[in-house]
Amino acid sequence: MQLAGQPQAPNIIIRGSGSSLAAASVQERLESQYEAFSEDSFVCVGDIVPTDMQEGFLRGHGTQVVDGQLMATVCGRVERINKLVSVRPLRNRYSAELGDVVVGRVTDVAGKRWIVDLNARQEATLQLSSVNLPGGVQRRRTAEDELNMRSVFEEGDLISAEVQALHQDGSVSLHTRSLKYGKLAGGQLVTVPANLIKRQKHHFNTLPDMGVDVILGCNGMVWVAPNAPPPALGADGEPEQAPPRPPATREQRAAVCRMAGALRALAALYFPIFQATLVDAYQARKPGLVDAA
Amino acid sequence: MEFVSPEGLRIDGRRPQELRALQCKFGVLSCCDGSALFQAGNTKVFAAVYGPRVADIRGQALHDRALIKCEYAHAAFSTGAARRRRGRSRKSTELAALVRGALEQTILVELLPRAQVEVCIQVLFADGGVTAACINAAMLAVADAGIPVRDMVAACGAGHLEAMPLLDLNHTEAATGGLEVCVALHPALDRVVLLQADAKASVDTLEAVTTLALQGCKAAAGAMREALLQHVRSLAARRGAI
Amino acid sequence: MLHSKQFVKKTKKGKVLKVVREHYLRDDIWSGSPLDPESDPACNKLSVDAKEYLVVDTNVVLQQIDFLEHAAVEDVIIMGVVLEEVRHRNTSVYQRLRALTASPSRRFYVFSNEHHRETYITTNVGEGPNDRNDRAIRVAAAWYGARLPGVRVLVLTNDADNRRRALESGLQAMTVQAYARSRTDCAELADLVAAGSSGEGVDDAGAAGAGGGGSGKAAKRKRIYEDHRPMSEVTAGIRAGRLHQGALRVNRFNPYEGWVGSESVGADILVSGRAAMNRALDGDIVALELLPEDQWRGPAKRLPGAAEAAEAAAAEAMDVEDENSLEAAEAVGDREGGGAHLAPQVAPGEHYGEDAAAAGASERRPTGAVVGIIRRNWRTRGYAGSLQPPAEGRPLRRGAASVLFCPVERRFPFIRIQTRQAETLGDKRIVVAIDSWEADSAYPAGHYVRTLGPIGDRETETEVLLLENDINTAPFSPAVHACVPPLPWAVTPADIADPNREDLRHLVVCSVDPPGCKDIDDALHARPLPSGNLELGVHIADVTHFLLPGTAMDAEAASRATTTYLVQRRIDMLPKPLTEDICSLRSEVERLAFSVIWEVTPDAVPVAVRFTKSVIRSRAALTYAEAQSRLDDPRLHDEVSTSLRAIAGVARILRQRRADAGALQLASPEVRFEIDTETHDPLDVGMYQVREANQMVEEMMLLANVTVAEHILRAFPACSLLRRHPTPPPRQFEPLLRAAAAAHVSIDVSSSKALAESLDAAVRPSDAYFNKLLRILATRCMTQAAYFGSGDVAPAEYHHYGLAAPLYTHFTSPIRRYADVIVHRLLAAALRLVPLPDAVREREELHELSDNLNARHRGAQMAGRASVELHTLIFFRARDVVADARITKVRANGLIVFVPKYGIEGPVYLTERPVGAAPANGAARGPAHGATGTAGSDACSNYILDEEKQTVTSQDGALRFTVFDMAAVRITVAEAAGHRRQLVLELVDRALLPESEKAAA
Repeated sequence: MQLAGQPQAPNIIIRGSGSSLAAASVQERLESQYEAFSEDSFVCVGDIVPTDMQEGFLRGHGTQVVDGQLMATVCGRVERINKLVSVRPLRNRYSAELGDVVVGRVTDVAGKRWIVDLNARQEATLQLSSVNLPGGVQRRRTAEDELNMRSVFEEGDLISAEVQALHQDGSVSLHTRSLKYGKLAGGQLVTVPANLIKRQKHHFNTLPDMGVDVILGCNGMVWVAPNAPPPALGADGEPEQAPPRPPATREQRAAVCRMAGALRALAALYFPIFQATLVDAYQARKPGLVDAA
Repeated sequence: MEFVSPEGLRIDGRRPQELRALQCKFGVLSCCDGSALFQAGNTKVFAAVYGPRVADIRGQALHDRALIKCEYAHAAFSTGAARRRRGRSRKSTELAALVRGALEQTILVELLPRAQVEVCIQVLFADGGVTAACINAAMLAVADAGIPVRDMVAACGAGHLEAMPLLDLNHTEAATGGLEVCVALHPALDRVVLLQADAKASVDTLEAVTTLALQGCKAAAGAMREALLQHVRSLAARRGAI
Repeated sequence: MLHSKQFVKKTKKGKVLKVVREHYLRDDIWSGSPLDPESDPACNKLSVDAKEYLVVDTNVVLQQIDFLEHAAVEDVIIMGVVLEEVRHRNTSVYQRLRALTASPSRRFYVFSNEHHRETYITTNVGEGPNDRNDRAIRVAAAWYGARLPGVRVLVLTNDADNRRRALESGLQAMTVQAYARSRTDCAELADLVAAGSSGEGVDDAGAAGAGGGGSGKAAKRKRIYEDHRPMSEVTAGIRAGRLHQGALRVNRFNPYEGWVGSESVGADILVSGRAAMNRALDGDIVALELLPEDQWRGPAKRLPGAAEAAEAAAAEAMDVEDENSLEAAEAVGDREGGGAHLAPQVAPGEHYGEDAAAAGASERRPTGAVVGIIRRNWRTRGYAGSLQPPAEGRPLRRGAASVLFCPVERRFPFIRIQTRQAETLGDKRIVVAIDSWEADSAYPAGHYVRTLGPIGDRETETEVLLLENDINTAPFSPAVHACVPPLPWAVTPADIADPNREDLRHLVVCSVDPPGCKDIDDALHARPLPSGNLELGVHIADVTHFLLPGTAMDAEAASRATTTYLVQRRIDMLPKPLTEDICSLRSEVERLAFSVIWEVTPDAVPVAVRFTKSVIRSRAALTYAEAQSRLDDPRLHDEVSTSLRAIAGVARILRQRRADAGALQLASPEVRFEIDTETHDPLDVGMYQVREANQMVEEMMLLANVTVAEHILRAFPACSLLRRHPTPPPRQFEPLLRAAAAAHVSIDVSSSKALAESLDAAVRPSDAYFNKLLRILATRCMTQAAYFGSGDVAPAEYHHYGLAAPLYTHFTSPIRRYADVIVHRLLAAALRLVPLPDAVREREELHELSDNLNARHRGAQMAGRASVELHTLIFFRARDVVADARITKVRANGLIVFVPKYGIEGPVYLTERPVGAAPANGAARGPAHGATGTAGSDACSNYILDEEKQTVTSQDGALRFTVFDMAAVRITVAEAAGHRRQLVLELVDRALLPESEKAAA
């Protein structure tokens, strides 16, 4: 990966994508933005963060107080919300917030809960009570359910979920009590720095033009899959358990790969990832590289 | 051997109190949380940071603070004489311990309970000042990974040759076997994190050399700070405000 | 703190590994000229109004360093690349060049062209390192030209190709010779240009052999010497055992005879004659080939000098069939040598007129001839001497003339030099350096270096002897002075409070030294203990408190190694404030000391000893005479006198005990001068008087040294610095035994004890001096004592023969001997006061250190003796003295006599006596030199030598000389060749002997 401002032209080939962005245009776009930051909006570790002395300050994340002065403990951008001064690093591990949509991998099945890896500081847990079980929304979890946990999620399964609770030590509880959450299959996982995922209203993006669905997990794990068919409503109006996906067509697979490539390209360039940038990146690829195959 | 000519130039053309050319690069590796390449003259050290994350071995996790792990290795081609030494030597264990010690005092471990931070260091070319370069590379990688730290840690070596303190010895100068110290410093807190000397010396000599090394640390910290800020700005420029 | 701007990587390829080094190029290297506005004024060294700036190449520096050192050569730019190359090629020239560039009085500027961004060049493809460096010099010179348009930048190089290229690139270039000639303001300069580079044709010097003469006939000259074999052949020969390697030692008394100690042969190999020496000088490491056994010969048996030298020189002259032969023939007359020397000039183990190896050897010895020189040992400091006066009838040539230079040290050959100042140098002592010795030249070629002063002048001759013995007389550098605490200095409360320093100021300490001694480094005390025992203390100046390892002063002291005492002058090892004040244990002042304190029983048996750093206050600084009078006067009951008497009592017992153990009491004919305070000329000369007080001090010092030696060896068995005196090999005693046998005295040399006893027994009631004479002869048989590292020698050989002590070292004179400084540090380390000094930790380093100590010690001794000899000469210059002498050796053509009163020993030639042997060739010059040249050979038949009885008898039996006989000699000073003044001894009738001069019989 190349740094901005370096004279060499970045000649970035992203493994597995086949798409490479035109270097010059990227460079140009960066140059203009680069100047926009004021000098003191960034600090390095050990720097004193300027504060308004009269008002006083509240110490936020990424800072510590040394001799009455606020000192940055990470490199990043200074953020001020009223009196709260914090420094947000440009790159760090995912730290969960309530309500975040995440994509994770089940690493372990323990008593009454699953352990899910979110690429965060600590692992997340998914309680047996926080999942929808087949056959009824509100029913008591029985010992039998506990024995059959693997039939729901197994080790190695990818799931999408939502952050339900945060704990003191940094660990997280998840739930999948909605139809949109659950096991993921028939697609591709792309892991990008969590800092690139913008928190928005919708993390489940359906891009009908390209024929792919993208779940932008706030933890940097992004799920790309072919468009799912709309969930069929069951007889009782409750959505039925998702039917097995039909095997993806060649075109769908190509589209998925291309979207995954676009994601990797954005990550490599450290560009923010949301629907608009995804679409741009998807379309910026040079024609003929993948299609010819 | 004449290490400092009466004209005040060292063998490689530096003055006694000059550092070698320093270079810092970030994000050289993509599969880790932070990585950096630190170069001082020909000495080239690469560091990658994994974490903070769940400890590999649950039993090792500490309930009140993070566990720091450090791996050190050097490339077979890193020294002039291609020595092929498999496995860990005493030297590499010692170096890993030194770096780990410096990092444990630097990273705000108490903010990351039960987590583990692993630092892997690879020496690509050793031309003197390896310990200092390892610490600096590790620091840069840690900062790149966004791990909170008390202060920047910057390290620098200095030696005593021909009754004169010399900053940042290269291999030729260090090979004389005279006094060489390596100091790591928290420049903003003005706290010495590490002081290592591997020869006997009088207190006066040690003091002069250490003072010089501390100045070198500050200079190195300045260069590292510039590089980090530059790196952060460039990332921010790409990513935009989120 | 700035980083370099750019760098270029330099790759060096060795056998397998590739070394990558950084090479930083900079912009902050200044031109050093005030004409350059950008140059930092602090480093400007070149002058504003110089006619030209000189740029020299490496070979000019290496060959013409004497030229560069001349004060008229200024505004020289030394390129970094030149400096570097000189450092690799010749360390001593490098040091001299560094001294020039460091000297504030000389305008020599070092321009680090290799680190300057604009003058750094990379090697072109196919360009050799030398070509590249030459180009670097030209590029840097061109840079100067561009930077300083107002100044002429002149490149001095003797390489024609370099010169041509420089001219092509628009630079100005010249040979050194041409430049020196162009300097009409200073005629001397041309003389300093080293021979071998004369003329423009240096580049083809190999063909022309521009060696010495260079005047006309240079083209075709006959080879005088065999060519040296190529190095590869020599190396192979040595490996195969055909050739032998070793250092050539030329006989001091016969420059035509030398010895090479060779391990491969097991014995010393004789090299006889200049042709066999084949251009090797004393000290050169040579390769030599053994001659077939039928050509082996023995060393010269007759008194050397006269006939032997004449023959050899004549033989040499025969070979040289050109104009040189004349000069060579002249040399014959001058080489007769054999002047009287002061006895002390002969070192122990070296017998007058004989090399130690040859002592008593009449059989034929392995003889060889030099075939190659492995390492030249030409002195870079030069050789002192004078010009050979021109032959009569041959006026001095105007302008550059080729003249012969005659070194004062007879071991070295004449040197041919080119000079324009032959007229003015005729009566001067000058210094000359050797440049080369071609096979077709009888003498080595050299060049004039500097003038010392008029011949015969005391100051000049002192300079000569200092130079000859390589004694550093330069003032101490500012860096050294910076290590000296400021005066006035006093013991500080911190010193007294030091827990490792004992306060001994209450003790009644006093020192006993020769009159006028200012560097008092030892003091003594004794007091009775309640137990009835006696406490004895030796307090030595604590020099190491001030002389710390690693300082400039320490480095300087280590290189000087010893203070040199001349008759008139002292050349200090340490700066004067330390020597005479801060360390000197003067009376009534508090001083720091290192003390050895014993508890001894009344029978002088030590029961306890301890060592401590201390503070003392000496109550009295006595002379030997004063101390003696206190010892002798029992009425004195003051503290100092009583403690002195107590010490003397112990010393007497110790001395007796030592004598019983076999310590030798040897005699040395030391003399003392009374010096006129006005003219500084000696007024009288006499033997040194030894009092009991001297022996008392000596005994205490011996005790301290032995005690310390035992202690440090126990603490550091492998790295202690000790002093040993090897047992002399039996054959070294032969001259003594033969002389004794002739005198019907039996001497037992089986052990030092036996020798001491037999010497004690050898008394002639009628002849009080006989015993002393024997002891003097015995001294000559001794080997040299030497410092050594205990790890270098087997413990059995630590023994000190002369003192009959199993262990010995030097501890008691740290102000004037560096060995004692090291021992002080060792002792302090053994007491855990300081860490073990680095200098002794490595065996190699300790070995080098002790080698230097031994060499300097010997040099200082030789210089001291030479100074005595010089003053003796001055003393006899205005006098004509007849004195009593003793015959110490007989030879076929003369006697060696010893004059006890003046401590002179020298030859007396018998051969002039016989009628008819009067010199017919008219070569006679001095009264005692009637017979030289051819006279010698017929004359010797007039005397018959009886080796057995050590007697020579004239043929008619009228005259008969036996060893130890008394003889009256007249002592005069004669002017010999090369302005070597020497004492001439001449037998006279005993009747002429004035009553006052008669030795007490």
